[in-house]
Amino acid sequence: MWELVARSLEASTIFLFAALGELIDQRSGVLNVGLEGLMLFGGTAAFITAQTTGSHALGFLAGLTLGGLLGLGHGFFSITLRGDQVVSGMGLWILSFGLTTYLGSPYTGPLGLGRIPSLWGLSPFFPLGVALVAITWLLLFRTGLGLAIRSAGENPAAAEASGIPVTSIRFLCVALGGMLAGLSGATYTLSYNPVWNYNFLMGWGFVSLALVFFSMWNPWILLAGASLFGIMWQLSLSPELILPGVLSRYVWRTVPFAITIPILCIISTPWFRTRWGLAKPEALGRPYAKG
Amino acid sequence: MRLGRYELTLEPRPARPAIFTALTAVVAILLALALSSFLFLSSDAPLIDAYRAMFSYAFFNPHGVLATVHRSIYLLFCTYAFLVPLRAGLWNIGLPGQVYAGGLAAFAVPFVLRTHNPQTLALPPGLLIVLMIAAAAAAGAATGGFAGLLRAKLQVNEILVTMMLNSILFWLVAYMIKEGGPFMSATGEGESFGLPSSLHAPLLLGVPVTAVLALCVAVLLDLLFAKTALGYRIRAFGENPAAARYGGIIPVALSLLVFLLGGAFAALAGYHYFAAVPGVYKIPGNYGYYGDLGFYGIIAALIARGSSLGAVPIVVLFAGLSVGARFAQGELRLPFGVDYALLGLLMMTFVASHVLYHFRFGWRRIPSEALQPVPTELPRG
Repeated sequence: MWELVARSLEASTIFLFAALGELIDQRSGVLNVGLEGLMLFGGTAAFITAQTTGSHALGFLAGLTLGGLLGLGHGFFSITLRGDQVVSGMGLWILSFGLTTYLGSPYTGPLGLGRIPSLWGLSPFFPLGVALVAITWLLLFRTGLGLAIRSAGENPAAAEASGIPVTSIRFLCVALGGMLAGLSGATYTLSYNPVWNYNFLMGWGFVSLALVFFSMWNPWILLAGASLFGIMWQLSLSPELILPGVLSRYVWRTVPFAITIPILCIISTPWFRTRWGLAKPEALGRPYAKG
Repeated sequence: MRLGRYELTLEPRPARPAIFTALTAVVAILLALALSSFLFLSSDAPLIDAYRAMFSYAFFNPHGVLATVHRSIYLLFCTYAFLVPLRAGLWNIGLPGQVYAGGLAAFAVPFVLRTHNPQTLALPPGLLIVLMIAAAAAAGAATGGFAGLLRAKLQVNEILVTMMLNSILFWLVAYMIKEGGPFMSATGEGESFGLPSSLHAPLLLGVPVTAVLALCVAVLLDLLFAKTALGYRIRAFGENPAAARYGGIIPVALSLLVFLLGGAFAALAGYHYFAAVPGVYKIPGNYGYYGDLGFYGIIAALIARGSSLGAVPIVVLFAGLSVGARFAQGELRLPFGVDYALLGLLMMTFVASHVLYHFRFGWRRIPSEALQPVPTELPRG
């Protein structure tokens, strides 16, 4: 039982890292729908680096770096060039999907390194994730920088007028968000499931993106949501633990995705929007032109 | 940005003539092809041979040409599936899911009517084929329409919903064709039962009838957007939803309609691939590969800037490239996925060309009086 819980919490850290990065992005007003692409690239870079150098640490470093660079690329298109953020995000996703399939395919198979040591069976990434949630919350809601980030996402013109460098703040956030997405991908390929496979994520990134909307842009709610989805994901992989022999295992695999849709509907109802949805950054997805 | 005595700015383009649109598309594609040369670096063969292998197989080898034609039909339907919602400003990335829905529904017809066993064939095969196409289109429309309805009624993000549907339908197909699922082949190899030969889509000159359908749709869609009130409403809604609503256009019906149409087109792609391509006529175990190939439809529709006729040559080129790339990959012992890598590169050059399509670089000399320091001394006298 503990093994299942530990495994679920490890799965939830992957959702959590990526979603936390996206939350920071969105709080500053930048929408990145290509989150899955960043995770794919980060995960693939981490896997290839770790396998060729034999070092987990270098692998994580590669994942973080590439994720951050891709985040900056999205920033260049959406902040500097003021392009459509959905076009750029989708572009990043398809670019990563295509290129990682090609670049990673010679490395298809297991990582072949020792497992990352665990604490009583629990992956060290879960406590790291909780710490990051706390840090993000403190950063966003208890520091001047956090106030600057949030105001850049709510009303960039007013923020600029009060002396906040909106462009630099947004670039900082996309870089941080990209690094966290890279970390998430690296955690997947180096720790959770250290086997490289074509399109290994199969929708994790999009579930993480949905989690940000569920979280009402609050890191603590995000932690709860990610944990719930981690448990659900793990149960969908081994349904025999709860309901042995009921339905095919393939049908269970659809459950985490199927549950996402009604939740998205609930948070989109007018009732929910007026009552709870006010945390949505006002300028989300809108490019800002300095006047 | 200021560079010495010159100022570099990014300005919106006031007008975009058709020739300019075509030119950006050509440049984006050529650039992606040039960039793809780095994919061939790991091969020992000279670069020119790699390109030659790719193009000569796709467009001159008899087997290759046929494969290119089949794939073009498949990708054309995928392109329409993405293009119609895009004109209304919505992103249908649920192409794989809708393709699977179409395939499943088409195979459900012979399955339900117990005709996959040739002895019990009850209805005339022609009618059954029409039924299969209709069932596929209906299933795809339902899958797409679901996302469209949620978008229309509740403003639920269509990218997320269609992506979730992709994963759901991917696993549903696995359930149907693998490990004792209802559609599993008698040999139990993780693929669906094969269609009896009477239910294969009829061929015209070796090409399935779906080709005719695909080309007709290209003409009809361009007419729809250029000449009809409905097309105008969709475009207006896509350009500026707020203004369109002010002009009396009802967004709910439009969002639903474009997704119903889009889903039906993607499902026809699924029908074409699983039930009309000679040598297939089943849902193979690697159906996921063909589903993901549908993403070429996204990039084709984007590069064609929403013109369905304009998308036809682009799609034929992409179909040939993906077929040829797979061939060159085997021939030159390249890693798996050259075709996907090309897809990624095309997306990258498209995003870059998108900026140049909407903006131009302003390059002007800063007037010299603006640069001259203010005189500190009063002129004499």
